[in-house]
Amino acid sequence: MSDLQAAPSTRSIWSGRISIGLVNVPVKLYTMIKDQSFSFKLVRKDDACPLKYERVCTFDDKVIPWSDVGRAVEVRKGEFVVFTDEELQSLRPDSSKKIAINKFVPLNQVDRIFYDTSYILAPDKSDESYGLMLKAFIEKKLAGVGKFTLRTKEYPVIVYPYHDALILTTLRYGDEVVDPQSVKDIENVKDPSKEELKLALKIIDTLTRDFDIKDFKDTFREEVQKLVEKKMKGETIVVEEPKAEEVRGLMQALKETLSQMQQQ
Amino acid sequence: MKELTKVHFTNLDKILYPDLEITKAQVVEYYIRIAPRMLSFLKNRTLVRTRYPDGIDKEGFYEKDSPKGSPEWVKTFTKFSETSQKDTDYVICNDVDTLLWLANLAALELHIPLSKIPKTNAPDLLLFDLDPELPAGINEAVQTTFILKELLDGLGLKSYVKNSGKKGLHIIIPLIPQYSFDETKNFVHRIGEKLASKHGFIVSERKQTNIPGKVLIDYPQNSERSTMIAPYSLRATREATVSTPLEWTELTNLNPFNYNIFNLPKRETDPWKHLFDEPQKLPKID
Repeated sequence: MSDLQAAPSTRSIWSGRISIGLVNVPVKLYTMIKDQSFSFKLVRKDDACPLKYERVCTFDDKVIPWSDVGRAVEVRKGEFVVFTDEELQSLRPDSSKKIAINKFVPLNQVDRIFYDTSYILAPDKSDESYGLMLKAFIEKKLAGVGKFTLRTKEYPVIVYPYHDALILTTLRYGDEVVDPQSVKDIENVKDPSKEELKLALKIIDTLTRDFDIKDFKDTFREEVQKLVEKKMKGETIVVEEPKAEEVRGLMQALKETLSQMQQQ
Repeated sequence: MKELTKVHFTNLDKILYPDLEITKAQVVEYYIRIAPRMLSFLKNRTLVRTRYPDGIDKEGFYEKDSPKGSPEWVKTFTKFSETSQKDTDYVICNDVDTLLWLANLAALELHIPLSKIPKTNAPDLLLFDLDPELPAGINEAVQTTFILKELLDGLGLKSYVKNSGKKGLHIIIPLIPQYSFDETKNFVHRIGEKLASKHGFIVSERKQTNIPGKVLIDYPQNSERSTMIAPYSLRATREATVSTPLEWTELTNLNPFNYNIFNLPKRETDPWKHLFDEPQKLPKID
């Protein structure tokens, strides 16, 4: 079974074309990363009446409809520069329906710390040109680098083959990532003694394994799901307290005591 | 967790000993670790507890009845309580789960009677409760203990000693449960009188309790309604001391603070391990 187990989307989120020089390949973009974080609906406790957010004026507490909402930048405390919709429109990047690739680099040259979100590129209309582009990428073992505007934001992107398809990964800008060496605490790290290092290396050696994403599971989501099913069947819920660190410690002690008593 | 214990732990991070910042989790862990050595002394005895739900700096309370909401699996024994003049469901702690359930209730101190159910009027333990009055202290209590042991040895009685976790000492003789509490009480009283007549710092009567510098051998503690602090029970003291069964050799340099929640689990000796192996008869004394 593949390590990638999220269900695919039935609808693409964008369609346009990849342009490499004079070649254009029509493509659709599918979501690849599916955040499964659980989020609760907010309701009134007593009767589970759902709540909604509203934009409220901070001066007179009146609810403001979307048609009256504008955008501004706070330049000093309490001082705003307001933009008109037209002004904003002119500032937004050109949302041309195009992923523009202007050079190719070895994939490992792209520091993975810049990787943001990945999308699946699928052929749109013409399967032929997509297959050709995919094959060429695989042969050259290179990643295409370019720019791409999704919704209202322009991203640096890389396009590269993965699992016999092309995928697009948006990147972070350089000014969005902090250099660890600029963190004060990191600057002051002291060198360990030889003995300490030896011990640490030994520990790491004994724990060296292959990485397997299946080692990890979001149990909170599963527990919530189980509880939901129970509640839907009308079962009463016995609230279990989380197994805090201290409970785990106690259980370890208890295990030892019980096995000691069995031996007696 | 369920498979290890039936106890549902709550508020484990609550501080029960504020001076040393000892949490309930630490108290529970102490009782887990000490259970193998402790349980035989609790077995089939009607337990009385002193509970400190808000820590030892706040008032604790004495509890005899099984508290409201006790789980079904907690064993109880119903008996008329002379002191409260009513039928009382005493908790019987014969297993680890009950001990940990009590610990979770912040029952720091566990007190046991000197007899077992169901024959609660026939003591299987005889107690010399040595209680020093300031400025007498642990040293005077120890001195009394040695004098007492010599006498008991002479009568052919094997005796056992523990500290109370406070300033006192307890000397115990395991008995065949064929005597009444009046008989054990009189025995202790007679011995007390003998020692008091020979040694000026020993007294045998409760009315002498408040005489400074004396050690009282408190014979009325040998009664059906009385209890003593259980071996290995924690005490509600600043240092989280433990009432600890001792080797006689340990008495020569005894500091009660050295027996506490931190070092008892690591202690390797178990001087009372065979206490119940040879119950004894009371000899005649003149």
